[in-house]
Amino acid sequence: MNRRVAVTGVGVVAPGGIGISQFWDLLSNGRTATRRISLFDPVGLRSQIAAECDFDPAAHGLDHETTERCDRYIQFALVAATEAVRDAGLDLQRTDPWRMGASLGSAVGGTTRLEHDYVLVSANGARWDVDHQRAEPSLHRAFTPSTLASAVAEEFGVHGPVQTVSTGCTSGLDAVGYAYHAIAEGRADVCLAGASDSPISPITMACFDAIKATSPNNDDAAHASRPFDARRDGFVMGEGAAVLVLEELGHARARGAEVYCEIAGYATFGNAYHMTGLTKEGLEMSQAIDGALGQARLNGTDIDYVNAHGSGTKQNDRHETAAVKRSLGDHAYAIPMSSIKSMVGHSLGAIGSIEVAACVLALSHQVVPPTANYETPDPECDLDYVPRVARERKLRHVLSVGSGFGGFQSAVVLRGPEGRRQ
Amino acid sequence: MTDQVDHQVTIDDLAELMKRTAGVSVDPLILEEESGSGWDTFGLDSLGLLGIVAELEKRHGMGLPEQMERCKTPADFLAVVNGVLMKGA
Amino acid sequence: MSRQRPRRAVVTGLGVVTPHGIGTDVFWKTVKEGGSSLAPVGKEGCDHLPLRIAGEVRDFDADALIEGTFLVQTDRFTHFAMAATQLALDDAGFGRADIDSPYSVGVFTAAGSGGGEFGQRELQKLWGQGPRHVGPYQSIAWFYAASTGQISIRNGFKGPCGVVAGDEAGGLDALAHAAHAVRRGTDAVVVGATEAPLAPYSIVCQLGYPELSRNDDPQRAYRPFTTAACGFVPAEGGAMLVVEEERAARERGADPRATLAGHAATFTGASRWADSRSGLARAISTALTEADCRPEDVDIVFADALGVPEADEAEALALTDALGPHARRVPVTAPKTGMGRAYCAAPVLDVATAVLAMEHGTIPPTPNVFDICHHVDLVVGRARAAELRTALVLSRGLMGFNSALVLRQGSVPPPERRSASV
Repeated sequence: MNRRVAVTGVGVVAPGGIGISQFWDLLSNGRTATRRISLFDPVGLRSQIAAECDFDPAAHGLDHETTERCDRYIQFALVAATEAVRDAGLDLQRTDPWRMGASLGSAVGGTTRLEHDYVLVSANGARWDVDHQRAEPSLHRAFTPSTLASAVAEEFGVHGPVQTVSTGCTSGLDAVGYAYHAIAEGRADVCLAGASDSPISPITMACFDAIKATSPNNDDAAHASRPFDARRDGFVMGEGAAVLVLEELGHARARGAEVYCEIAGYATFGNAYHMTGLTKEGLEMSQAIDGALGQARLNGTDIDYVNAHGSGTKQNDRHETAAVKRSLGDHAYAIPMSSIKSMVGHSLGAIGSIEVAACVLALSHQVVPPTANYETPDPECDLDYVPRVARERKLRHVLSVGSGFGGFQSAVVLRGPEGRRQ
Repeated sequence: MTDQVDHQVTIDDLAELMKRTAGVSVDPLILEEESGSGWDTFGLDSLGLLGIVAELEKRHGMGLPEQMERCKTPADFLAVVNGVLMKGA
Repeated sequence: MSRQRPRRAVVTGLGVVTPHGIGTDVFWKTVKEGGSSLAPVGKEGCDHLPLRIAGEVRDFDADALIEGTFLVQTDRFTHFAMAATQLALDDAGFGRADIDSPYSVGVFTAAGSGGGEFGQRELQKLWGQGPRHVGPYQSIAWFYAASTGQISIRNGFKGPCGVVAGDEAGGLDALAHAAHAVRRGTDAVVVGATEAPLAPYSIVCQLGYPELSRNDDPQRAYRPFTTAACGFVPAEGGAMLVVEEERAARERGADPRATLAGHAATFTGASRWADSRSGLARAISTALTEADCRPEDVDIVFADALGVPEADEAEALALTDALGPHARRVPVTAPKTGMGRAYCAAPVLDVATAVLAMEHGTIPPTPNVFDICHHVDLVVGRARAAELRTALVLSRGLMGFNSALVLRQGSVPPPERRSASV
């Protein structure tokens, strides 16, 4: 069974832009949302900057009970999913709940909340034998990230297959990929697919400090995320969520839904190399790209735009450039490839879905978002990274790639409405 | 204590640090003999090296230069770290 | 995409790390005898906590099983996963020589609690001493993807790699992902789950679960299907399986020990146990359909057996709903009452037990349970001899997930012989 999978709705909570119109406004104008951390006092950290969401849950319809019960990252997901369902015009009363699933990704789940309560029960890290009486009553909901998918499924009355996906920084791409498989292979007709993370907390910032993966460019936060630029010095932490409504194409047509595009292919592989290290050659990411293209029955030369992982670390951007060249050949030089992390930072597990959302909007607007802050070419990164300014372009097939700690390498291919091969 | 001798990192210290922070077991005699070989000869990766640098920074209460992590061999590493510690002492 | 014969996913190796012991020999011996390894929590720093009884893995010598470099950079849950993987590979006789291409072997795990002990240690360093005291491995040890990544690296497996972060039902979902990967073209997947949720802070997090048993008597703390049911006992440990495409297994001379014949997952809301009846029944029916089995083909049911009266009743009723009159005849067992529930790993251990039970023609009993108050033929007291060709494994997650998995002995095709449709 191989059914076609349509994207019919999109919802985004991103730094600098909550909702798809604000999000697209930020991307298409090349603005950056990176700044000094305000969610806690970052003094003492090597990297004191992040891309934060100015998020007021009440303004997005979340009541007090929900904000008490749900961590920030789940709140993001609920708001993004609500927008996506509305955008899709999906009438939940007329959708078979047993044929509707949810696939939500998160790399670090409730760790921000876990840390918050840890400080209370350990008396600021003084004791190993923590005092349970000081824990908050809903702490158990932060214990496991399954709470994310559960909360979203509950909100929309989903009864079909539901799962949280947690493959580090490819969680967002993989959550979309798993949902795509579930629909293509017949286990669901509709799926809420996306990801969320709110990792801007002392422990997560400190753990990336310890391996010098994040940018220490604290004096110029707005320009600190510089993917593919020769002066790049690490990624800038981000937060946010994106959720798509994926739907079997016939199901979408039968209810007269507007179809943004199709998810045409997905593949993921491990690099079996190093938990954080990447090779110069990018063989395994190339394998994922080839796999996704194969599933979409496309050649590398069919791709019109590559939405890069582009984290802004030395090794990632070099690795990824090599992988794309390996799969697309000389065609890689003829098409744009950009990283929206230059604007919205790297929200770990969430970013893959946010990037797929950006691809959906790019296809819809026929505009390629730029790589902000890109100025100085790096000889090892010699593709067209769309410096600073968005670009109009005819887009039919778009590729989004991701790479994560643990060695995960994933790729998703999207096919625009005019992208069907005759 | 400002005695310079105490501020030197020896081969034995390095072997102990490799074991404790990175889980790499190496005989100090072999480490000394092959101190010109790359870290991977001993099974130490980039994260392990970062851990050793961080441990030395804490132990000596001072920041060490970024170049420490780019040292390719134990011999390089010891030369750089001991140079810095000598100056800082 | 038509193929001459459907690709079937078969189990060829089992590796277990459990409160009963390490490896299938000692594990099966205790399970078959209805032994119980539940005991007072003995971990440092837990004496004062109101969780009294747990299933701890006591004789696990990590130093003897895992290289020092892996030990220092991973949490106990990953130590379990790496050890269980090695046991499973040895059990399957699966070595590097059996791999055509590194991309043909994938890794899939489910994870619910992550690297809690490691994380607590690093949180203590951060809050007790400062950010510079957080080590370089926190970034790769605490997150849920750690085990999949490390297994992939340690063994050189570059095939599809994934992680579902679900609670109990996630373990069966991971097996389903492995089966789907095999059907799509991957030759082998190392799949399963391990958990180590018994560090002090991890326990504090779980105290919020209303379903957690606080009973202090090892014989009475976890007694599902009885009037004395008072919740579940948590556990650590888990299982990894080698799952292969049937022909690939035969070609290298391995005998299929069981077929992953059908699976389905549904969602009915967190802690709404009465509602899990319909979700579980639907999952069972769908999984049986996928396996091309009729209700009366089921020879043994491994129950979820949560130990919460409302949940136990829902499970008994779900069996009646899905299996009809056969529900009163089919033997049901829950060996996990002697080990506790190791979250995602609990149903994976049930699957391993089911494979062993089918091979030995023996239904292991449900320890500590005698006075059953539901209309199910729960096997208690002593093991029962029976010819077992089809096993049904059920699991429900605390956050509202229901999953059912159908296993067939060896690679025998299902009774009424049409080939499976998926």
